[in-house]
Amino acid sequence: MNPYWDTNLFSFFLTLLSRLFSGALFTNPAADEIQLGTLSLVAFSCGLLSPFLVLKRMSMFANALSHTVLLGIALAFLLSSALFGATLLQPSTLFIGALLSALLTALLTEGTTRLFRLQEESSVGLIFSLLFALGVIITTLFTRHIHLGVEAVLGNADALQRSDLFLSGLYALLSLGTILLFFRPLQISIFDRSFALLSGLRPQLLHFLLLFLTAGLSVSAFRAIGLLLVLSFLTGPYLIARLFCHRLSLLLILTPAIGIALSLLGIALSRHLLSLYDLPLSTGGITTSLIALTWLVLYFARAYIPKRKSYSITHNSANL
Amino acid sequence: MSFSLLDFFTHPILRGPTWGTLFLCLSSSLMGVILLLQRRPLLSEALSHTMWPGILLALFFPIPIALGGILFALLGYFSISFLEKKKVPSDTALAFSLASFFGLGVTLASALQIQKPKAYQEVQHLLLGQAAILDDKALVVPALLTLAIVLLLLFRFRSIQLLLFDPAFARCSGLARKPLELALLALLLLSLLSGIRSVGVLLLSGIAIAPAIAARQFTNRLQTLFLLAALFGALSGLFGIWLSVWGTTVLSCSGSLPTGPTVIAVGGTIALLSLLFAPKRGWLFRFFRIAFFRLKCIEENVLKTLWKQGTLSFSTLKKTHCIPFLRYILWRLQSAGWVEKEAKGLVYRLSPDGVQKAASIVRLHRLWELYLTSSLGLGKEKVHGSAEEMEHILTPELEKELTHHLSHPEVDPHDQQIPSPRRL
Repeated sequence: MNPYWDTNLFSFFLTLLSRLFSGALFTNPAADEIQLGTLSLVAFSCGLLSPFLVLKRMSMFANALSHTVLLGIALAFLLSSALFGATLLQPSTLFIGALLSALLTALLTEGTTRLFRLQEESSVGLIFSLLFALGVIITTLFTRHIHLGVEAVLGNADALQRSDLFLSGLYALLSLGTILLFFRPLQISIFDRSFALLSGLRPQLLHFLLLFLTAGLSVSAFRAIGLLLVLSFLTGPYLIARLFCHRLSLLLILTPAIGIALSLLGIALSRHLLSLYDLPLSTGGITTSLIALTWLVLYFARAYIPKRKSYSITHNSANL
Repeated sequence: MSFSLLDFFTHPILRGPTWGTLFLCLSSSLMGVILLLQRRPLLSEALSHTMWPGILLALFFPIPIALGGILFALLGYFSISFLEKKKVPSDTALAFSLASFFGLGVTLASALQIQKPKAYQEVQHLLLGQAAILDDKALVVPALLTLAIVLLLLFRFRSIQLLLFDPAFARCSGLARKPLELALLALLLLSLLSGIRSVGVLLLSGIAIAPAIAARQFTNRLQTLFLLAALFGALSGLFGIWLSVWGTTVLSCSGSLPTGPTVIAVGGTIALLSLLFAPKRGWLFRFFRIAFFRLKCIEENVLKTLWKQGTLSFSTLKKTHCIPFLRYILWRLQSAGWVEKEAKGLVYRLSPDGVQKAASIVRLHRLWELYLTSSLGLGKEKVHGSAEEMEHILTPELEKELTHHLSHPEVDPHDQQIPSPRRL
C-alpha cells in the first residue's frame, strides 16, 4: 500500500517527513520515494555538471546525446539478442547501449569538428540527426514498433525501480568525486585557457572528462526522467541560480540544491494533481515545466529584490 | 510489387509521399543554407521541439493543429531571442527553451492520453512522422511554400545576401528591412510545420542542415550554394523515398524502412561523403595537399645539403636527414634529373639542373633573411628559422618583388653570397 495514496501537496510533504523520521523511508521505500530519490540524485549530478557544460557551450551537445542514445540501445539490443537471446529493455542492455552511443556521439562530433573544420554547432547537428535517424531505422526494422525509441528518449519517471535509484546514486557519487577532484583545473581551463595551458593543465583532457561525464549522465538518467528532460535539469537550475549569484563555487552548491528542491516539488505536484483532480500527468514533464516557470517568475520577481553590486561572469571567456 | 522510376511521380499511392518529400526537402534545404550562414544551424532543432506543446494544446480545443504549432514555434523563437538578449549563451538558450517547451508537451501528452486516447495515438505519429500518409491534397502547402521561398530568393537576393553576411550594415543602411527578416522567420516556421506530418518533430532539423553542409564543401558563392543545397536536398529526398520503398518491398514481412529517417540518413551520408571527398575543401584533398607539401620541403632540403656539401654518400646524407624513406626521395630527385648517382656505390651529387634548382632555393632563403634584417629590423641571429620555412613558400613573383625591394642584393646578413637569379 502506497502511503502517498491520495495525498495533496501539503500532506505529501508531511507524510515524507514522518516517514523520514520513523525510518520507514529507508527500510521499505514506497514507489514515490524511489522516484523522489532517483530524480533528486539525477538533479544533483546535473546541477554539478551544468555550470561547466553551460560555460563550455556544451548544452546542445547534451541535446544531441539525448537523441543518439536510441542508436546505442538499438545496437546493443541487436548484439545481445544475437549473442545471448536477451529481450529488449533489460537494464544491462540499456546501460551498455547508452554508454556506447554517448561515446560514439562524443567522438564523432569532436572528430568532424576537428577533421573537417566544421563549426561545432553544425557538426553536432549533422552527427546527431544522422545517428538518431539510424537509430529509428534500426528499431523500426527489428521491432516493428516505431515508438519504442520515443519511449526511451522521453523516459518514464512513473515506472522506476530500486536499480534505477542505485544507478543514479552511484553516478551522483562519481560526479561529486570528479568535480571535487578537478574543480580548480576545470575552473582555470574554462576561464583562462592560456593560463591553463601554460601551467600544464591539459584543457583538452579536461574537455574529454566533461564529455565522458555527460555521457555517463545520459546513461544514468535516461530511464529516470528521459533525456530531453535531463536537458532541462542541465540548463534550468543553472539559469535560476545564475539570477542570484555569479561565483562558480557558489553556483555549484546552489544549482544542485535548486534542482533537488524543484524535483521534490514536481513529484509532490504530480501526486497532488492525481489525488485531487484524478489527472495522472507525466512527472518528468511537470518537473520540467515547473523549472521553466520558476525561472520565469524569479526573473521578473528579481526586479523587486534589492540588488547588491556584483560582477558578472562573461560567457565569452569560455571560448574553446 | 515493383515500381519504375516514373511510377514514383505518377502512381496514385506513391506520388503523394514522393512529391511531398521532394518539396519538403527543397524548402528546408534552402532554409538550411540561411540557418547555416547565420551560424545558428541548431535553431530549427529547437523550434521544431517547441512546436510540440502547441500541437497538443490544439487538440484540446477546436483549433487546427497547424495554428497551435506555429504559435508555439513563434513563442519558442521569442523565448530563445529573449534569453540571448539577457546574455545567456546561445546554445544554452536553445537547450533551455527546447527542453522546457518539450517538457510542457510531455505533460500535455500525458493528459491527452487519458482524456482523448484516440487523438493521442494519432499525435504520437507526429513525433517521428509518416510520409506514407501524404495524399495529393497534402502537397499543396509544401509546394506553395517552396514556391514562396524560391520567389523570395529570386527577387530579394541582394538583400538576403547582405542580411546573411553583414547584418549590421544591412540594418543601418536600410537595404534589408525588418519585414524581410520576419518573412524569413515565417518561411522557416512554415517549412518546419510542413515537415511534421512526414518527418516528425524529433527529426525535422536533420533535413535542413545536412544538404547545406554538403553544398558548402563545393562552393564559395551564395547562388551556387543555394542551388547545390537544393540539389542535394532533392537527391536525398528522392533516393530516401526510393530506398524506403525498396527496403519495405524486400522486407515485406519482417518490417519496414521508415521514410523520414531514411531520407535523413541519406542526406547525412551525402554530407559526410562531401566532407571527406569534396575537391579543395574535402578532407582527402587537404590531406594530400599537406603530404605533397611536406614531401616537397624534404626534397628541397636534400637538394640544399647536396649543393652546400658537394658529393655525398648515402650514409652521410642519412645522418643529416633522419627520415625513413630517404632512398625514395633520392630516387624521385634522380628521376626529376636534379641528382645524379655515381657509378660506384651509393654516392650522390647534383646535376647541372639540380645546381640551378638548389641555388634558387638558397637564394630565396638568403633573400628572406636579408629582408627580415634590413626591412623589418630583426636581429640576424633570429632570422634563420623563418627563412627555413619561407624558402619553400615564396613564389617567383614574390622573389622578384623582394629583389626589387632590396635593390638586387649580393650578400645576406651572414655575409654569404646570394646566388644570382636563375637564368631561364
